[in-house]
Amino acid sequence: MSVATPAADAAIARAASLRDTLAVSFRDEAVRSIYAEATRIADRAAHQAGDRRYDFDQRIDRIVTSPVFGLPLMAALLAVVFWITIVGSNTPGVWLASGLFWIEDQGAALFTALGLPWWATGFVWHGVYKGLAWVISVMLPPMAIFFPLFTMLEDLGYLPRVAFNLDFLFRRAGAHGKQALTMAMGFGCNAAGVIATRVIDSPRERLIAILTNNFVPCNGRYPTLIMLATIFVAAQFPPALASAAAAGAVMAVVALGVVFTLAVSWALSRTVLRGEASAFTLELPPYRRPGVLRILYTSLIDRTLFVLWRACLTAAPAGAVIWILGNISAGGATLDQHIAGFLQPFGHLLGLDGVILLAYIIAIPANEIVVPTMLMVYMGTGQMTDVTSFEDLRRLLVDGHGWTMLTAVNLMLFALLHNPCGTTILTIYKETLSAKWAAVSALLPLALGFLVTFFVAAIWRLFL
Amino acid sequence: MDTTLLILVAAIPLAWAAYRWHQRQTHVRSRRDLEDALKHLFEQEYRGRRASLSSLAGVLRLGGHAVVTLAGRMQAQGLVVAHGQEFTLTPEGETLALQIVRAHRLLERYFADEARLPLGQVHAEAERREHGLTPEDVDRLSAALGHPVVDPHGDPIPTRDGVLAPPSGTPATAWPAHTLGRIVHLEDEPEISFAQIVAEGLRLGQRVRIVASTPERLVLSDGEHEFRLAPAVAANVFLAPDTGLEAEAGLRRLSDLPTGERAEVVGLDESCQGFSRRRLMDLGFTAGARTRPFLETFASDPRAYEVRGTLIALRRDLAAQVLVRPMAADTPPAAKGAASR
Amino acid sequence: MTAHNCDTCVVHAELERMGLSLDRFDRVVALAGNPNTGKSTLFNALTGLRQHTGNWPGKTVTRAEGGFEFNTVRYKLVDLPGTYSLLSASHDEEIARDFLLFGRPDATIVVADATALERNLNLVLQVLEITDRVVVAVNLLDEARRKGIDVDLRSLSRDLGVPAVGLVARTGEGLHGLLEAIDGVTSGAVATTPLRVTGTPEFQHAVSELVPLIEEAVPGVPNARWIAIRLLDGDAQVEEALRSGRLADVVESQTQGPGRFSRKIALAGAQ
Repeated sequence: MSVATPAADAAIARAASLRDTLAVSFRDEAVRSIYAEATRIADRAAHQAGDRRYDFDQRIDRIVTSPVFGLPLMAALLAVVFWITIVGSNTPGVWLASGLFWIEDQGAALFTALGLPWWATGFVWHGVYKGLAWVISVMLPPMAIFFPLFTMLEDLGYLPRVAFNLDFLFRRAGAHGKQALTMAMGFGCNAAGVIATRVIDSPRERLIAILTNNFVPCNGRYPTLIMLATIFVAAQFPPALASAAAAGAVMAVVALGVVFTLAVSWALSRTVLRGEASAFTLELPPYRRPGVLRILYTSLIDRTLFVLWRACLTAAPAGAVIWILGNISAGGATLDQHIAGFLQPFGHLLGLDGVILLAYIIAIPANEIVVPTMLMVYMGTGQMTDVTSFEDLRRLLVDGHGWTMLTAVNLMLFALLHNPCGTTILTIYKETLSAKWAAVSALLPLALGFLVTFFVAAIWRLFL
Repeated sequence: MDTTLLILVAAIPLAWAAYRWHQRQTHVRSRRDLEDALKHLFEQEYRGRRASLSSLAGVLRLGGHAVVTLAGRMQAQGLVVAHGQEFTLTPEGETLALQIVRAHRLLERYFADEARLPLGQVHAEAERREHGLTPEDVDRLSAALGHPVVDPHGDPIPTRDGVLAPPSGTPATAWPAHTLGRIVHLEDEPEISFAQIVAEGLRLGQRVRIVASTPERLVLSDGEHEFRLAPAVAANVFLAPDTGLEAEAGLRRLSDLPTGERAEVVGLDESCQGFSRRRLMDLGFTAGARTRPFLETFASDPRAYEVRGTLIALRRDLAAQVLVRPMAADTPPAAKGAASR
Repeated sequence: MTAHNCDTCVVHAELERMGLSLDRFDRVVALAGNPNTGKSTLFNALTGLRQHTGNWPGKTVTRAEGGFEFNTVRYKLVDLPGTYSLLSASHDEEIARDFLLFGRPDATIVVADATALERNLNLVLQVLEITDRVVVAVNLLDEARRKGIDVDLRSLSRDLGVPAVGLVARTGEGLHGLLEAIDGVTSGAVATTPLRVTGTPEFQHAVSELVPLIEEAVPGVPNARWIAIRLLDGDAQVEEALRSGRLADVVESQTQGPGRFSRKIALAGAQ
C-alpha cells in the first residue's frame, strides 16, 4: 500500500473549502441536474403511442391495498394457501409414510437375513433411516405445496403490497415498514428472513427486524402446526369443516406470531433499541406474470429440496442419537426415559411433557425434526410400531401418552415461541457480528414461550 | 491459614485493578468537566455574555470548591483568563472549545438524522458521547453525515479549521408583532425550556407570526395552530425573515395533497436532512418531478405516490418534507411524451 | 487468466482482491440497474444460472456471479445489487459503487425499465460519470408495448453516447444484440463518448478546479471528474480511498508491467 500523499490531502482540503462557497447544497444540485437531464433524454426517446390503455395494474392495486378490503383480502389469501397445503398434503403424506416404512421393514429383514448383529440393524434402519423417513414423510408434502404457492405470490409482486398494508402497524411499533417484507420471507425460512433484513438501512430497525423474525413460523415448523391442527382441532369439527378448521387454527397461530412480532418490536423500540422510525420508502413494483416453470423450478429445487436436504442432514444423526438413547439402559430404564423423566415436571408445568422438551433439545439444529423426534421417542417405548395415518397418530398421542387439548394448544404455542434453529442463530451471529445479540435472539423467544405456555397451562387447569 | 493467604493473593491484583479503574474514571471525569466548562464559556461568549464561577457551577453541577479548582486548572493550562469573578477564553481555549462544540453539534445531527432519536433526547445523548473523540473521529463523522452546516436546533457547526458562522435570528421576544418569520434556531439549553418548546410542537423551519404578547404569555401562530410560551421560554426561539422555499405562495406539503390530485415537486423542506433527504431525492422527488398520491391504506398512512413512472410508498412524516405546487386539474396527465415528439 | 488484454488483467488483480475468482475468464462485465427492472432475469438468461428472482425491492443484497461465452471470449458476469442511485451510501449502493470504481469491470450493463425510462436514466447517468464502458439494456420492451410506449433506441444511444439495446430478458428477445454490444465495448471496437451532466456554472467551476489537484494526487486516474464531484459532496468513502492510497494503488498497478502486479496485490488483498 502506498502511503497518504500530501497531494491527496490538499485535494480533499480544497474540496472542503470549495464546498462551503457553493450556495445551495451540492448534493441537491447534483441530483437535480442529473434528473433534469434524465427527463430531457427520456422525453426525446420514449413516446406514448396513441391512447394509453386502461391500466389493469392500477385497478388491481386499488383493490389489493384498499383501506377496507386490503387486510381481509390478505388474511383470506393466506388462509387459502394454508388450506390448500393442509388438504393437499394429507394423502401423499400417508402414501409416503407407508412406502418409506415398508422399506424400513424390508431393510431390517435383509440385515437380519445377512446375519448382522441386532444393534447394526437397529442403528441403521430403526435409527438413522427411520429419522430420515419421518422427516421426508412429514415435511415433503406440505413444503412441495406451500413453497410454490408462496413463490408465486412473491414473483407476482404481492409481498410489497403486504408490507404497504401492514406498515401502519409496524409504524406504531416503532419499526421499519420493510420489516413486513422480511417477516414474510421468514414464513419460508427464518434464516432467509434474517438475511433479507439487509434491505433495512437503519441499524436500529434492522436489529429489531432480526430479533423478531423468529416470531413467525418458518416452513420447518408448519408440519408440527399442521399435524396438531389436523389431529386435535379438526377432530372437533364435522368432516366437511375439518380442513377449514385446521387451516383456521394454523392461521390463528400465524396471526399470533404477527402480534408477538409487533409487540416485541414495540417493546424493543421503547427500551434497549430506543428511537424513532427512520425514513420509510418502499417501491410497489408493477405486477409481473409469474412463469409457471420458473416457479416450480425455484420452489422445488432451490427451496424444497434445499430445506429437505438440510433437514435430512440433521435428521440422520438425530435418528442415531435417539436410537442410542432408546437402547442403552441404566437402572432399569433407557436413557431417553431418564432424560424425559427428568424434564417431565418442568414439561408438565408448561402443559407439555418431558418427551416434547427432549425433542426440542435434540431438534436445536433444525426445527423440522421436532415431530419425528417426538414420535421416535414415544414409539421407542414399544406401544406402536406402525403409524401412517393421522388417526394412528392420534391414538398414539392421546391414548398412548395422555395428550390432551391443552398439550396440543401449548405445543402449537411453543412451536411458535421458542429458540430459533441453529442455522438461524448462526445467521444472526454472522449478520450482527455480535454474540450478545445472537444470544438475545435465542433466549428472548424461549423465555416468552415458557411464560406463555406456563400461563395458558395454569389458567386452563384452573378453569377447564 | 491457607485460605486467608489465598484470599490475600487473589485480592492484590483485584485491588490494583480497582484502583486503576478508579484512577481512569477520575481522569475521564476531570477531562469531561474541563471540556464542558470550555464549551459553556464559549457558548456564553458566542451569545455576547460572560461566564462566571457561579454560572459554571450551575451548568456543571459542581460544588463551589470543585469549580474553583477547575477554574484554576484552566488558568494554569492557559485556556482561560480571569477577570474578577468572570472568565474569558484564550485563543488556545477557544480552539479547544470549538473542537468540542463541533463534536457536540455533529453528534446531535447524527442522533437526529441517522439514529432518529426524538429531538428532545438528541442534546443529552450528544452530551454523553462528545468526550474522548479525536479530531480525526470528528472529521470522519462530518464526512459520513455529508458535512452538515447546522445542527438540528439550527446552530451553525464550526468547520474543521474552527470557523463558526455568527449567530442567526432574533429572539421571538424581540421580533416585531404580526410579521411573518421563520424559526431558524431553537436554543437547546436549559433543557426544561427546550422540552417545552418541543412539547408545544414548534420545529425548525416553521413559519410563524406573533399574534399576542403579554408579560406572562407570548402567542405564536403558524396559521393553523397557536403556540403559547412564557417569555423566558420564547426568548429561546429565534426567528429570521422568511426566505426559504416554504415562503412561496401556493405551495403545499405532499402529505396534505388529496389522493389522486396531481402536483409538481418544488423542493424538499430544509429541516429534512441526512439520510431522509438523500433517499427522497434519489427516488426522484426533485424539483420539476410530477407526482400524485395514488393509493391509500388503512388510516391513510402510508400512501403510495406515483413519481417518475413508479409507485413509491411513503409514510406521512416523510411525505410532509416534500413541497409541491398543485397542478391545474385540466392538465392532461400523459401529455409530456407526446408533446416533445 | 489469459493475457488477452493486459491493462484489464491488471485491474483483475483488484477484482481478485474483492473476492472474485477469474481463473477461467477473459473479461469481467458488471450488471447494474434499478430494482425490479428484470436485472436478475437478464443475469439468468445470460449465465443460465437459476438465481431466484422474487418481485420485491432489494432482494439481491449481495453480489452474484456467473459466466458466459460469446465469440470464444469467456465473460464473468457480476450481478450488483439493484439501486436507484449511487449517491446515498446505503449498504447496497456501496457494494455497487465500490465494484464499479475499484473493480473497474471491462464493461457495465445498466438495465433500464422501458416503462419508466426517466427514473432509470438517473442511474445510467450516474454510472456514466464513473465509467466509459457502458451498455444500456432497455428491458421490459414487451410491457412498454403493452402500455403503448415506444422507445427510440437510436435517439437514446446518441444522447447517452454509449450503445443502447432493446431487450425482453424473459423471452430472450434482443439478447444477441446485447452480447454483440458487450463484445464491441469490451474489445474497444465500439468507441463510447459518455454524456456527462454539467450542472450550473458554479458547479462546473468547482469541479474544474479540483480535477488537476486530483490528477496530481493520483497520476493517471481515469475518472478524476467523478472523484472531484464526490469530494465536493463530502463522500467519506471516496475521501478515505484517496487518503489511504487505495485509489492510487489501483491506478498504479495498471500502469506497471503485466508480470509484477498480481503477486503484490494478491498478497496485499489476502491480509
